[in-house]
Formats: sequence, C-alpha cells, structure tokens
Amino acid sequence: MTAPLDHMTILPVILPAMAAAFLVLALRHHLKRQRIVSIGVTLLLVGIAAFLLAQASDGTVRAYRLGDWPAPYGITLVLDRLSATLLLLTALLALCVVVYAAGGVDGRGRHFHPLFQFQLMGINGAFLTGDVFNLFVFFEVMLIASYGLMLHGGGPGRLKAGFQYVAINLLASVVFLVGVGLIYAVTGTLNMADLAVKVPQVAEADAGLLKAGALLLFLVFATKAALVPLHWWLPATYAGTSAPAAALVMIMTKVGAYAIIRIYGLVFGAGAGPLALAAAPFVVPAALVTLVVGAIGLVGSRTLRDLSAFAVIASMGTLLVAIGLFDAPGLSAGLYYLVHSTLAGAALFLIAGLVQEQRGAASDRLVPAPAMAGETLLGGLFFLAAVALVGLPPLSGFLGKVMILEATQAATIWPWIWGSSSPRASS
Amino acid sequence: MTLLLVILIPFLGALIPPLVIRSGRNTCAAATGAVTLLALALLLSHAPAVFSGAVPMAGVAWVPSRGLSLSVFADGLGFFFAAMILAIGLLVIVYARFYLSREDPMGRFFAYLLLFQGAMVGAVLSDNVIALLVFWELTSLTSFLLIGFWTKRAEARQGARMALVITGGGGLALIAGLLLVAQAAGSYQLTDILARGEMVRASPLYLPALALVLTGAFTKSAQFPFHFWLPHAMAAPTPVSAYLHSATMVKAGVFLLARLWPVLAGTDAWFLIVAPVGLATMLLGAAIALFRNDLKGLLAYSTVSHLGLMTMLLGLGTPMAAVAAVFHVINHATFKAALFMSAGIVDHEAGTRDIRRLGGLMALMPITGTLALIAAASMAGVPLFNGFLSKEMMLEEAAHTSYLGLDFLFPVLATVAAVFSVAYAARFAIGTFLGPARHDYPHHPHDSPLGVWLPVAVLVVPVIAIGLFPAPVAGPLVALTAGAVIGGPLPDYHLVLWHGITPALLMSLLAFAGGAALVLAFRRADGVRARLPRLDAKTMFELATGALVVACRRSLGALHDGALTRYMGVTVATLVAVGGYGFWSATHGAGTRPLLPVTAPAVTTFLALVLASGAVLLFHGERLTALILTGVVGVVVALAFLQFSAPDLALTQISVDVVTTILMLLALNLLPKATPREESRAVRWRDGTVAGLAGLGVAGLAYAVLTRDGTSISDYYLAQSKPGGGGTNVVNVILVDFRGYDTFAEIIVLGIAALAIYALLDPTLKGAAVRRIKAMLPRVESQDAHPLLLVVATRVLLPLSLVVGAYIFLRGHNEPGGGFVAGLVVAIALIMQYIASGYGWAAERMKVDSQSMIGAGVAIAGLTGIAAFAFGRPFLTSTFGYLHWPVVGTFEVASAMAFDLGVFLTVVGVMVLSLAQLSRVARRIDPAPEGKDAMDVPLERAASGATGREG
Amino acid sequence: MELLVAAAIGILTTVGIYLILRAHTFPVILGLTFLSYAVNVFLFAMGRLAIDRPPVISPDAAGYTDPLPQALVLTAIVISFGMTALIVVLALRGYLETGSDHSTLDVPRRTDAGGGA
Repeated sequence: MTAPLDHMTILPVILPAMAAAFLVLALRHHLKRQRIVSIGVTLLLVGIAAFLLAQASDGTVRAYRLGDWPAPYGITLVLDRLSATLLLLTALLALCVVVYAAGGVDGRGRHFHPLFQFQLMGINGAFLTGDVFNLFVFFEVMLIASYGLMLHGGGPGRLKAGFQYVAINLLASVVFLVGVGLIYAVTGTLNMADLAVKVPQVAEADAGLLKAGALLLFLVFATKAALVPLHWWLPATYAGTSAPAAALVMIMTKVGAYAIIRIYGLVFGAGAGPLALAAAPFVVPAALVTLVVGAIGLVGSRTLRDLSAFAVIASMGTLLVAIGLFDAPGLSAGLYYLVHSTLAGAALFLIAGLVQEQRGAASDRLVPAPAMAGETLLGGLFFLAAVALVGLPPLSGFLGKVMILEATQAATIWPWIWGSSSPRASS
Repeated sequence: MTLLLVILIPFLGALIPPLVIRSGRNTCAAATGAVTLLALALLLSHAPAVFSGAVPMAGVAWVPSRGLSLSVFADGLGFFFAAMILAIGLLVIVYARFYLSREDPMGRFFAYLLLFQGAMVGAVLSDNVIALLVFWELTSLTSFLLIGFWTKRAEARQGARMALVITGGGGLALIAGLLLVAQAAGSYQLTDILARGEMVRASPLYLPALALVLTGAFTKSAQFPFHFWLPHAMAAPTPVSAYLHSATMVKAGVFLLARLWPVLAGTDAWFLIVAPVGLATMLLGAAIALFRNDLKGLLAYSTVSHLGLMTMLLGLGTPMAAVAAVFHVINHATFKAALFMSAGIVDHEAGTRDIRRLGGLMALMPITGTLALIAAASMAGVPLFNGFLSKEMMLEEAAHTSYLGLDFLFPVLATVAAVFSVAYAARFAIGTFLGPARHDYPHHPHDSPLGVWLPVAVLVVPVIAIGLFPAPVAGPLVALTAGAVIGGPLPDYHLVLWHGITPALLMSLLAFAGGAALVLAFRRADGVRARLPRLDAKTMFELATGALVVACRRSLGALHDGALTRYMGVTVATLVAVGGYGFWSATHGAGTRPLLPVTAPAVTTFLALVLASGAVLLFHGERLTALILTGVVGVVVALAFLQFSAPDLALTQISVDVVTTILMLLALNLLPKATPREESRAVRWRDGTVAGLAGLGVAGLAYAVLTRDGTSISDYYLAQSKPGGGGTNVVNVILVDFRGYDTFAEIIVLGIAALAIYALLDPTLKGAAVRRIKAMLPRVESQDAHPLLLVVATRVLLPLSLVVGAYIFLRGHNEPGGGFVAGLVVAIALIMQYIASGYGWAAERMKVDSQSMIGAGVAIAGLTGIAAFAFGRPFLTSTFGYLHWPVVGTFEVASAMAFDLGVFLTVVGVMVLSLAQLSRVARRIDPAPEGKDAMDVPLERAASGATGREG
Repeated sequence: MELLVAAAIGILTTVGIYLILRAHTFPVILGLTFLSYAVNVFLFAMGRLAIDRPPVISPDAAGYTDPLPQALVLTAIVISFGMTALIVVLALRGYLETGSDHSTLDVPRRTDAGGGA
C-alpha cells in the first residue's frame, strides 16, 4: 500500500497533463477560462512542489514505484532535495510566465495553455525520473511542447529558427538513444540507481562500449545545456520566440545541467570504478569556453533579446564550471547558482518582451527611442535582472576558490554590457 | 537586534518616498529624513556601549551550511562610519529637498538615496564577508542609479555607466580577494578574520588576495590609475555628489583598507603598493584640481587627492599613520560635504559653476560665502580649522617615510601635493567669492533660504570646533575608531594645534608659500599645462569600450553565421570525436558470442537497403524519388524487425512508414520539387567523410555489442508478463504496464505534435504565402474530379478497417498488436476518406472532433492510472480479470486495456488532425465553397500528391 | 548476420548524416528520417539478434528474445513520428512564408561598428 500523501510525488507530472487534456477537451474556445484553469493549476503546482521540498528536506531519498513494479523493472520516480528544489523552481517560474502570458500573448495563436501545461509536465517528469530511458521520453515531451510554444504566434524568423532548433534537437535525440542503447547493452538495466551499482562492475572488455555510450549521452545533455560547441541552437531560438516561451525554455537548459549532475555525478561519479568521472575532463574546459563565448556574445549583441540569450549562455558556462567539479561544494554552489540564474534569466526575457512591445518600431534594438510608458520601472527591472544574472557576490561567491578566480577573469567583462544596455533600455 | 534594524530601516524606508510624494515634497522629504533619523537614533543607542569598549553584535543565520549569515557588528570603525553615513545623509536630505526642482521626481530620488544609504550602512557594519560583498556591490548599483538620476542627459548616463563599470568590475575582484582572505583565515566572519591576521599574512594566498582586495578598494576610492571615473560622476545632482564623494561611496574603499588593516597591513608588499598609489593619487588629483574651471570638477579632483592622502597614510602601515588617516576621514567628510553643497548653491543661484564666470559673490550671498570660505580654508589646511590638523599629521608621517631607500621621495612629493592643494583651495575661494562683484551672472544670485544653507552651516560647526579644540571634540571618536583600525594599543599621539617647530610645520609653511605663488602665477601655469599632452580618460574609456564591442560583434558574426549546416557539422564532428575518444580511452575486447548464419533472403534484403540508400544519397536532389526510396528503406527495416523476432515492431514500423510517407507527400506538394546542388565538390567530400566516419563508428559499436553476450533485467518481464501483467505479448505488457509511464508520456508527445501542427497551420495564410500557393494552383486545376473508384474503395474500406482495428486492439495484450497499431490502421482509413472525397465532405461527416479525441485519449489514459490511487496503489498500477463475452468467448480484461484505449484514441486523433490539416493548407486561402457531393468537385490540391499521377 | 545488421546501421547513419549536412530543409528531413531508422535498428540490436523467438509467451516456445529493447524502439518510433510530422510542417510553413526552403537563418549583420558606446 502506498500512503495517500506519497502520491504527491507523481502529481507534478499528471496534474498538468490532465489539465492540458481537459483544456483541449472542454475549454478549447474559451481563452478566459483556459487562463483561469492554467493559472490555478500552476498555483497548485507551486503548493505541491513546496510540500515536496519540505518533505525532501529531511535528506532522505524517496522512490515512487510506478505501476507498483519493483525497481529496477518498473519505472521509479526519485524525490530528493535536488529534484524537489528544481520542481519548486519550475513551478515558481511557470507561475510568473503564465501570468505574464495571460496578459495577451496567449491569445496570439492556438493552444497556448495546453502546450504550456504539457511543457510543465515534461520538465517535471524529467526532474523526477530515475530511469534513463524515461528521461529520454520526458526530454521529448518537454522539447516538442517547447517547439509548440516557441512557434506561438508565428512569423517567418521564428519558423526558420524553429526548424533549426527542432533539427538539432532531433539529432540530439538520436544520439540519446544510441547512448542509452549502449548503456543497456552493457549493463542490462535502465534504472539509474541500479546503473550506479552495475557500472563499477563493468567487465574490462566492455568498458570501452560503456564509456562511448556515457560520453555520447553527455554530449546530448551538453547540447541541452548549451555548452560550447553545442550551443548553436540557443541564440537564434531564444531571439526568435515569444517572451514567455523563451523564459520557460530557460529552465530547459537547466534540465540539461540537471541531467549532467544526475548521471555524471551519480552513475558515472567518483565511485564508478574504471569509468569514474567519465565526463569530467570535458565539462570544465568546455564550460570556460562557454563563458567566454557568452561574454563575447553579450558585448556584441544588438538587441535585448540577443543580449539575454548570451547572458544565458554565459550563465550556463558559470553553472557548469561549478558542476564540473563533481564534488559536494561545487554541486551545492552550482545548485544555488542554478536557481538564481534561472529566475534572473527568465526575468530578463520577460522584461525584454515588455520593452519590445512598448517600443514599437525600434523594437528591442539597443538604440535610443522615444520614451515609453513605465520606462523607469522596466529599465529598473531589466537592470536588476541583468545585474543579478551577471552575478552578485553570494551567487558566484560559492564557487570554489580557484574556479572563482578563473570565472572572474571572464566575468569582469560582463559589466560592460549591462552598463551599456541598461541606461539605453530606459533612455 | 536593533543593529540589524539600522540596516533594514533604510531599505524598507525606501518604499515610503514614492508612496508619499503625492502628499507633497515637504512630506516626502520629512518622511525620508525620519527614516534616516530613526536609523541614526537606533545606531546611537549603542553609542554608550561602543564607547565603553564593547562590540555590539547581532545576526541571523541565512545559509549556515555555506557559512552565510547576515551578521553585523559595530566596533569603533563600523560605528563611526555608520554614524557618519547616516548623519551626513540626514543633512543631504534636507539640502536635496530645496535643491531639487519641481520637475525632478523627488520620490524616486529619495528612494534611491535610502537604498544607497542602506547598502552603505550594511557594508560598514557587516560581520560576514559575503554579506559585506553583497552590500558592497549594492552600493555600486544604487550609486549608478543616483549618478544617472537625470536619465535624459547623455553625460549623466555615461558617467553612471563608467562609475558602474569601474566600481562594479573592481567589486568582482574584491569578491575573489575577500574569499581568498576568508579561505586563508578559515572563517567568513570578519571578527574571526581580524583576529587571525598572522595566519592570513603567512598564507600563500596572501599576495593574490592582497592584489585583488586592493583592486576592489582602489577602484571604489578612485585611486590612480582608476581615478578617472569619479569626476565624470559629477554629472549627478549636487546632493548626490555631496553625499557620495565626501562621506560615503568613495570612502568605502578607504573603509575597506582600514577594516582589513590589521589583517593585510604591515607587510612590505602592502607598503610598497598602497603607499605610492596613495601618494600618486594625492599628487595627481591635486594638480588636476587646480586647473579645473568647473567648481564641481575642482572638488571632484580634490576628493581624489584627499582619498589618495588617506590611502597613503593607511599604506604606510604604522599605527601613527593609521590614526592620522582616521582623523582625516572625519575632517574631510565635514569640509568636503560643505563645499559640495556650497558649489551647488552657487550653481543654483548664479546659474553657472564655471569659475571663470564667477567672482565677487561674497557681497551678494554673504552667508554661503562665509561658510564656503571656512570650509575651503580647512581644505587648504589653514590653521584653526580641522583640515590643518590631519594634514600636519600626514606631513609628519611623510617626513619620516623612506621608500626603497629614497628618503626624500615621500616628503618632497607630499609637500608638492600640499602646494597644489593650497593653490586649488585658494582658487576656489578667490575665484568664486572674493574680488569685485560682477554683473554678468546668468541669474541674480542672493542667499538661499535657510533650508539650503543650514546643512552647510551644520557641517561647518565641527570644522571650526575640531580645529580649535581637537582633543575634547574629536579625541574620543578618533581614539575609538583608530583603536578599531589598529586592533591593538593606540600609539602615543596628541591632537593639539601646536606641536612646536616640526618638519611638518616647515612643510606646511612651504606649501602656503608655494600655493600663493602658484595662484599668482596661475595664468602662466595654465599655459604650461595647456601645452602638455593630455590624456582624456573618458575618451579612452569610450574608445576602448567601442573597440571591444566591435571586436565582439565581428567574432560573433563569424561564429554564428546562421547556417544550420555549420551547426550540424560542428555537432556531428564533436560527436564523432568524443564518442571515439570514449571508446578508445577505455579498455575493450573482442566479443565471443556465436554468430547467426547468413541467409539468402537476408542478403537480398540487405542489398535492397544498400541500393535504396545509395540511390537516396546520389539522387536526393530529386525529392519525390528520394522520398519514395526512403519509404522503401523503411519497409526494409520493417522486414528486418520481422526477421529478428519482433513482429510488433514490424507492424508498427510499416504503418508508421505509410503515414509518414503520406504526410511528406502532402507537404512536398507545396514545396519545391528539386533541391539545387549548390555545394562545391570539396564541401560534399568533406561532409561525406564526416558522415562516413559517423557511420563507421555507429556500425562498429553495433557490431561490438552484437558479438558479445550480456545479462539484462528482461528475464523478469518474461516471467511476470502473464502472472503479473495478464498478457502474453510481453512487448505490449511492457508498453502498457511495466513501462506504461513511458507510453503515457509518448502519447502526449504525439498529442503535442498534433496541437503544434494545428497551431502552425490553422491561422489563415496571408501575403507572400498566398501568392506562392496561387502560383501553384493552375497545376491543381488540371486535375479532374475525385476518382470514382478511389472514393468507392475508401468508403468500403472504412468499416472493414474499423473492424480490423478493433481486432488488433483487442488481441494486442496477448498477440502482436495493441492500441497504437490499431489506432494507426483506423486513422489511415479515415485519412483516406479525406484524401479521396475531399476535406469538406469528410469533415462534415466526421462526428467526433479530432482535437477532442486527443484530449479524451490522454484523459482516459491518465484516469486509468489515477484510478489506482483509490486502491492505495501508485500511478498506473494495473489489475486484470476475465470477462465472458457471448460471442467472442472468454477474454482476459486488464485495466491496462483501458489505458490502451487512451493510446488508441490519441493516435487516431493525432493522425487525423495533422494529416487533415496538412491536406487543406491550400484551402486556407481559397474560401470558394466546396461542393457537397464528393464525386464531382475538383480533386483537392493537396490530395493529388498522395494519390495522383506521381504517387 | 550480425555483420550485415551492423553494416546496415552504418549505411543508414552515413546517408542520414550526409543529408542533414545539406543546406535545404527537405534533405535535412529525409536525413533525420534515415537517422531515426538507423537508431531504431541500433537500439533494437542492443538486445542482440535472435530468429524465431518472438517475446510472446507460449508453452511451446523455444525461447524468447529480449523484449525490452523492442518496447523501447516502439516508443522511439512513435516519438520520432511526432517529431517528423512537426518538422515537416515547420519546413512547409517556413517555405510558404519566406519563399525559400534554405535552412540558413538571416542573421543581422553584426560586423559594422557603432552603438557600443
């Protein structure tokens, strides 16, 4: 028997899914009611996630066995502090986004709210799952819903950027399956906890196959996390989409980072015998390059949207520098930074969206334009978000001592940007 | 806890001014003043304790595991700085009330001011270094808002930006530096760190930490070579300048040097770096100040110079010098704030701050004039005013300082700086207030109302009081503060006017003489200066920023050229390289599994695959051919599945293949029919090589797996399928039961795809798209009516396929089949109706809406899973039983079948929705009514691709 | 037999990768279809090959092949169908709106100076 409260674990997945089905089924033509349901469900998700986080904060890891099948045969959900934190983060972010969207963006195309709820289901599912193939499935849910949201409202630029995004991610999905396939072929299991047991015992003759699989899988996550040189999809996609979609997609880059923590911190972590820390040699160097590319992009951007996109790339670089340490301080530093940069980044996109709508012809290009309503507020908000993303002390401050030195070298360029952009945003 | 409130009150209070501004400017200023006063009162309530030698502390844990707490402590130094910040803040608020014009948004101004005040107080009271860093950066940010307050002015924006870049960037260095210090001391609490100076100085981290901390402090306190931002920050409203540049923001750097003095000072490195930087800044600032014609510019460089003075004193590293530094902090704050405010009054009254257009104001505005003259005298170091005392102490210290064996360097240069400072103070006083009155001021100056000059007067009181009676007035405060800076016993010093004939006195006299000469010979000196090459820091800054932006744009443009081919190419190359590295960097060995014998049909099928794939490779420019061949390859894959014991897969593959091909044919209809060959031969070979490597890699991995044995969890599925899952088709039981959660998400993927396709194709086409489709329409018209045979055939097929679908669905749990394949079969039959009989005809007869079907499918699958909750089981727990149907016989009915029904409905809905949408793209622009009778309407444009001549 | 299957996977992959490196949308879509064929067979092959041993429980079966990869491939096929359908429609709509089925995005020229200060 499962205690009634234990079912809370699955709710972040099925609640939005059922809500979306309901919206399609019953409220297809009532935008206002859709908004009410969508916001209500998102609020509920915040509550559920808060409850789950409170539950997980005792430090124990809770497993939820779907279909009542024993692990590793059935699919298991894993609720621990990490996943619960990310669930809450997602819910909070989603609440902001859905309220923003209810301001009118959702009416520009079909099915915004169902797609939005499905997207939440995908993200939550990816955070909760303890099964590598199931992770693939939820990646796909999340991605296809994000395509839908991204294209919301249309426009030629979006279509081409969308095509690139889908094509690159389809390639990544193919590689995901190759990686999972290799891992299954060698270990015979898909359950992450079971993998953590079996990976260290890999036979000498099979280690090469397993490592190839592990690294291919890592590249998939790196693509989602926009790690250079696999970051191509991000700037164009972000720049070409509606603000709420871009803000929500913020969290998807974090899913990539989360998967790296889960798989390469636990399954192929320090205790994985011959395959210990398989991905580690790549993460930190690539993250530093990412940081630099992000900084270059920040300085070189011409629009607030571009600027925000490269700020995301730079912040992913910072995040992965911390994660790439694969030790406890790095991880908690990374987690802290993750939460912060997600919210700050999403705020950037939403504000850039507001600015864009207010400024008409000048759009969000960084040129002076006639004053707009609420300029102080918007400028101030953008300023705050930009500043937060660039890294106030407590955030980057958690990075390891050497890492921070390296990170700061690149980071010192960042203020040039918000320095040059914020006054303009409000000018 | 009241200590924490001292920090919190300004932050919370910042909400008040914008709220009460509607009640009038006086109310607004009064509210702001009250907030500051409250904070000050709370702080002063600790004064008895602090003066008695106690250190009040307070704090709350924030993230204890990370060493983060919001803890504060008020030792002498912190207490003094906080008191100074709040007290001068109060005066600035009064002054600003009368200074700001009606057009200025006062509510916002006071809000910023309070935020800044809170950040400053927080920075000087913080015990935790992280908290200190947060507040430190907050001061940079809030000062950015204050400096850029007049957002309409370009120089305000530029000045604010420069200040932010320099101080914010320095702040980042400080973060690193303080963290290193904390690392070396083993604690994040300043109180601990201060007690462990030895440990820090002995640590190998000392030098990098020192360099970084100094960068932070120097940028903030505008030390050479970072001094250039400060004068440009003068674009701020005068109250801001008075506040930021006398007592607060720029003093933060000095505060930090003083705060960490017991930890970092006392080494050679400290002395060798800090002292000369301070000296150079003092000299340079004073020299530049003399030649500024703008009153605020003159004061700004004077501030730079005085900050250099304090830095130099702290840099000397001796307790005596530290006392002098502390004393000068107090004195400078008073006279400089008074001077800034006076300059503001002059600007306001006379309409200009240009020293060349001023003069003789003493007669017109005697009160302001007198106050400003006193303050200026103090700045020059005239005896009987407080500036004299600390300057004497500075000169005394400089006289004893030998730098790298050069005994004369510090005394001489310090005296030269003093000469300049006498000269610029004299120029300020004489040029503005003395001399004959003029009649060509832009305005008619007269003394301002009381509220404006009162703060100045209040500031001038200590200037005189300390100047006359230093020991009784300032003695306790200096002792308290200096004691906290030194962190040990105070040196033997005397705050008196007359020390006898000392080197310092001689140097002072020399300075007055030199200063007087310089003022007399100002024109000639100015001529000399004009001939010297000038480095305009601001232009250099702007040039550097501009160059950086251009460079970044160039590299960005080169990197992100928008070409998908490049993105894909880099990605694939990375995949091949990293995958290859993974395999070769770990151990590997040959497999031992016995191989299956090759059969003739297998070879034939393989050859078919090779031929079809090769043809696609060569002729992919001919799109239709390539598409059909791709479909053929799909069939071959299905055959392979069938061969290797996967009937379910074969069934699914073949039906998906059919639907995919139909879909792509429909799309191809509206797309160009050929792909131009644009790439050069070299590019094609390059791509071919990359592709070949990838293919080799994947094939190698597959072969390696196929030739070795392995164990897996699958035995459990085989064993439990019947007893646990109630079905004999293990693959189906896995899909709907063991891993039903995957399937639940999978049908949602399909559902989302259909919704997205609908969202993409539903909006009516406009503009260019319409022209493009119309251009293709003539070819459509050439088609005749719906082929009768096809129409009849599909009508007959429909009920048949529904039966087949039901059969496949029902047997799915035990034999190959299931909801997905059944859904596809039914969907294909339905789509055929659309294609054969036209969209209008079919849509009218379609009783169930396809979107509802998707929603219902997902809902049913989900509810089946949720039903398990009622039995206290997790999501998707299945059960099964036996059902006797009269005709069909005994069936095993698993709850998983209800789940499968959801799958079925979703699949049908998805297929019909997406294909039907695609088949009527052209119709979105063609509102001509379609005939009701399917037999004689023109064959739909979109359908021709699937069924017409080409198909 | 194993060699044939591995070679088939390799060929499918090669054609797929070559096609996704083309500059127009339609070949890219075909390439992705090829890649999905390739990966489906690859994933299926991870359960090793067996002839005449379908995983349908019956008393007279000689043995069963690994059912799990089959289930995974089924899921993968369905998902890739959804993705393919979407990308086809994307390409179509993109072509109708812009008149070009080139996959390159028009990036605003970033090389000119100005606007930075």
